[in-house]
This record gives sequence, structure tokens and C-alpha cells, in this order.
Amino acid sequence: MAANTLERRAARRGWVFASPALLVVGAVMIFPVIFSVVMSLSNVTVTGNGIGLSGITGANYSVLVHAPRYWHAVEFTVAYTACTVTVETVLGTVIALVLERLQAGRGWMMALMLLPWTLITVVSAELWGYIYNGVYGVLDAITQAFGGQGLNVLGTPASAAVAMGVADIWKTTPFVAIMVLAGLVMLPDDVTEAARVDGAGAWTIFWRIRLPLLRPALAVAVMFRILQAFGLFDLPYVLTQGGPGTSTESLALLGYRVLFNDLDFGPGAAVAASTALIVLVVCLAFLKVFRAQVGEQKG
Amino acid sequence: MAGKRRLSWFHVAAVVIALFIALPLYWLIASSFKGAGDITSAAAFPPHPSGANYVSAFSGYSFGTYLANSAIVSVATTAAVLCLGTLAGYALGRLPLRGKTAVMTALLMISLFPTIAVVAPLYLLMRDIGWLNSYQGLILAYTALMLPFAIWILRNYFLGIPREMEEVAYLDGASPLRTVVSVILPQALPGLFTAGIFTFVASCTEFIVALSLNSADRYRTIPVGIALFGGQFTTPYGTIFAASAVAMLPIAILVLVFRRAVVSGLTAGAVKG
Repeated sequence: MAANTLERRAARRGWVFASPALLVVGAVMIFPVIFSVVMSLSNVTVTGNGIGLSGITGANYSVLVHAPRYWHAVEFTVAYTACTVTVETVLGTVIALVLERLQAGRGWMMALMLLPWTLITVVSAELWGYIYNGVYGVLDAITQAFGGQGLNVLGTPASAAVAMGVADIWKTTPFVAIMVLAGLVMLPDDVTEAARVDGAGAWTIFWRIRLPLLRPALAVAVMFRILQAFGLFDLPYVLTQGGPGTSTESLALLGYRVLFNDLDFGPGAAVAASTALIVLVVCLAFLKVFRAQVGEQKG
Repeated sequence: MAGKRRLSWFHVAAVVIALFIALPLYWLIASSFKGAGDITSAAAFPPHPSGANYVSAFSGYSFGTYLANSAIVSVATTAAVLCLGTLAGYALGRLPLRGKTAVMTALLMISLFPTIAVVAPLYLLMRDIGWLNSYQGLILAYTALMLPFAIWILRNYFLGIPREMEEVAYLDGASPLRTVVSVILPQALPGLFTAGIFTFVASCTEFIVALSLNSADRYRTIPVGIALFGGQFTTPYGTIFAASAVAMLPIAILVLVFRRAVVSGLTAGAVKG
């Protein structure tokens, strides 16, 4: 009986300890998410000192469904996420494998790799904008020095999207590499050693043994990156302003513009809510595939 | 020569990787020393190195204000997140709470949510209580934004502390809060560092919420200030890079000094997975 009372008292104390944090998160994060969804399903009128909500309607979503600009933003965000995350994962894994082999200077490399991560995304966007500048950018200067012509990469939709991807890959690949390296370091040596004794080559050992063991670490890194990439905002806002035209307009940038430039809170909330929904679906799908593969291995 | 070491493929690869990361950073620093006449020069080294951009960032633009704003908001956010996060992380990690798995799952999902989903209601909320363009508004928003991830990191550290220590403190008659502060906290110090650095870096670099809530010049943080530095058609790159170099320095030093804590934080997820 005494133990039970103690337990109950500890639980009560636990809620007392946890409640300030949970209250803040609830009021400033969860409530807004719910409010966002409600707003996206209402007729929103902007008044002098706030907004008015009335009725339940699908009108905001039907505006989106009939807007090519919205579908373009969906396509762009999904394609951009798929491409950058794939490249970052492959490149990050390669970098991690190189660093693992490196005896001297690994500490310096780690330090160097943390720098892009600490860089403010807005700053990195300005930096790449300067490098890509079509009039005096160093990229065009380099291509001209090799006898080519100025590229003005931000000038056409396709090259602007690639240029933005490169800026993104530069900043976030080191982050992926560090996570993968941590996973590599924790792999059990004996399995690899046994395979080597059995005469397996380096290539076989990597593909058949180390990569499967690495899968959990990779999955976490990929998941992180998918979520970040879906929220893509800072980079297009500064580097391309979503352009040329609206070709590099991400869902977050579109949502922001509809909300804060056009003050269309209903459709804006619908963009925001649908973005969150897409992220959720993508993550669940990813987790499902990943789980299935893990299960297969165990079985 | 003594110690002939063979240069293998991964040495070459390591150099390529290092250059790939370092060259753009070099370009940022080098260009920050280019005067107005040289900013369009693609020369590898500034033709006439000058500190004029550093002067203009503070005198011509209000970069000093942005720097102070970022410092105030980031330090206050980090302090608030660590206070609330430690208590919550302790409770969720060690105390027999019903439904704590549900709470942790919810927190994880929230910490992964795209920020655009909360920006509009947050803006309306802050406008209603008159906290747009204020320190407290942004600090509150950031605290809520950063808490879920911090709680996760802290909880993981609390889980690893031996339970006997608490029991001894309890038998010695220490109050629950006292136990946390003087017995548990010192043990969880590495976790506090990690959570603190993550929160600090995230608050220094966050853009969309700061842009939406604090757009008035007086309350802009560094990212917002730098993004809105330019006019409609010209971008003062020299000034931007000088300002960026100044902003980068403290964050970079902090992260490099506490490298271990950062790496262990980055991999906290991987360890659990």
C-alpha cells in the first residue's frame, strides 16, 4: 500500500514537472495547428482587428484544387525533396565511408563539416546568389575562363531548380554524413571480420553486410531530411524568390505568400494544412516501407 | 624521408570533400573584404582588401540592432527551453506517468511538423495579445517550437542515469525539486549542453517565424535583417557577407568547442532507432 501511494505521488509530481512545458507546447504549437485546420475549413473574412470565421466549407480547398500554381508547388516540392534527399543520402554515405577510413585529421574534417550546418540558411542563400549571379558571379567567371559562356543559372526554371538543389546539398550533406558516420562507427566489427575471413571482397561486405546494418541510421537521417526539405522556405525566398516566374515556388513559400502578401487566410491555411498532411503521409509511407524491410530481414 | 605513407584514394577523396565544403565559405569571407569597387571581381583574393563592409554593416545598416535582437531572443529561448525541458524530460524519462509514450510520440510529431502550418495562427495570436514585433512574442514562439526536440534529447539522457542516486537523495530527505537540481542535473549536464546548443543554433538561424512575427526593423533578428538588407533591385553583397561573418563567428565557435555534444545530439535519434 505504501509503495502504491509513493507511486501515485511520484506520478502527480511528474505531471507537475511536465505541465509547464506541455502547456507552452500545447498553447503555442498544438492549438495553432488545430486552428490552422479549422481556418482552412471556414469562410475567413479579414476585418479591421482580426479575422472572422463562419461556417464549414470546402471552398478553400476547391480554390487550391483548381489552381495550377498550387499543383506546381506540390510537384516542385515533392520532386525537389526526392532529388536532394537522394543525392544527399548517397553523397553523405560516401563521405561517411571516407571519413571512417581517415586516421589523421578526422577531427578537423568533423569540425569543417559542422560549419555549413551552423550557417544561417538565409546567409547561405545570399552566398549562392552571389556565386550564381548572372552578371558578375564567380560561377560564370569560371565557365568563361574555360572558354564557355556565362550560364546565368538562375535565369531558367530548370537550371534555377538545380542551382537551388546544389546550394541545399552543400549545406546539408555534411549533416547526413555525420549521422551516417555515427551509425558506421557503432556497427559490430566481428561480422565484417568474419565475412573478410570467409573471403568476401570490400564491395560485397559493404553491400551485403554493412549497408543493411546501417539501415536504421540511414532511415533516421533520411526522415529528418525529408521533413526539412518539405518545409523548404528560406532558400527560395532569398535565392530565387520562387522564380523565374513561380517555377521554384515551394509549398511553404506559396503558403506564406498567400497568407501574408495576399492576406487570403482561408486558402493560405489550406496550403499550410495540406503541406502538413502531405508530410505526414510521406513519412508514414516511408516508415512503413522501412519497417517492412526490417521485418523481412528478421523473418 | 621517414614514414613513407601511401596516398590512397580516400586521402584524395577527403581533400575533395574538404574543398567542396570550404571553398564557398572561403568565398564568403574573402568577399566580405571586397570594397564597393571590387565586389563584382571574381579574383581569388580581394584586389584591395578593406574593412569598409564591416563598418557599413553597423553604421549604414542597423546590423548591431539585429545582432542584439538575435542574442536576446536566442539566450532567453535557450534558458526557457532548458528550464521547462529539464523538468519535463525528467518527468517523462523517470517518473511513472501514465501515457508518457503517447506524450513522447506527440512531441516527436510536433517537432517534425513544417513550421508553415503554425505561422498564420501564431501571427493572429500574437497580434491579438499585442506581441507582434516584441521580444516576448518571438521568445514564446521559439520556446514552444524548440521544446519538443529538447525534451527528447533530455529524456534520453535522464534515462541513462542510475536510479540509486535519486533514492539516496530521497532517503536523505531531499525534496523532489531539490533532488532534480542537485543530484540529477549534474549527471545530465552533457544532455543539457546538447539540448542547449541545438536550441541556440536553431533560434539564431530560424527565419519564417521571425519574418512573420518580427518584421519591424527595430525587432528583426539576424536572418530577417540580412534577408531584407537589400532594396528591391540591388543586393549589398559586401555588407551582407561582412554581417554574416560577424554572425557566424560566435555560433561557429560555440559549435566547434562543444563538438562532441553536437555530434551526440545529431546521433541521438540514430542510437534509439
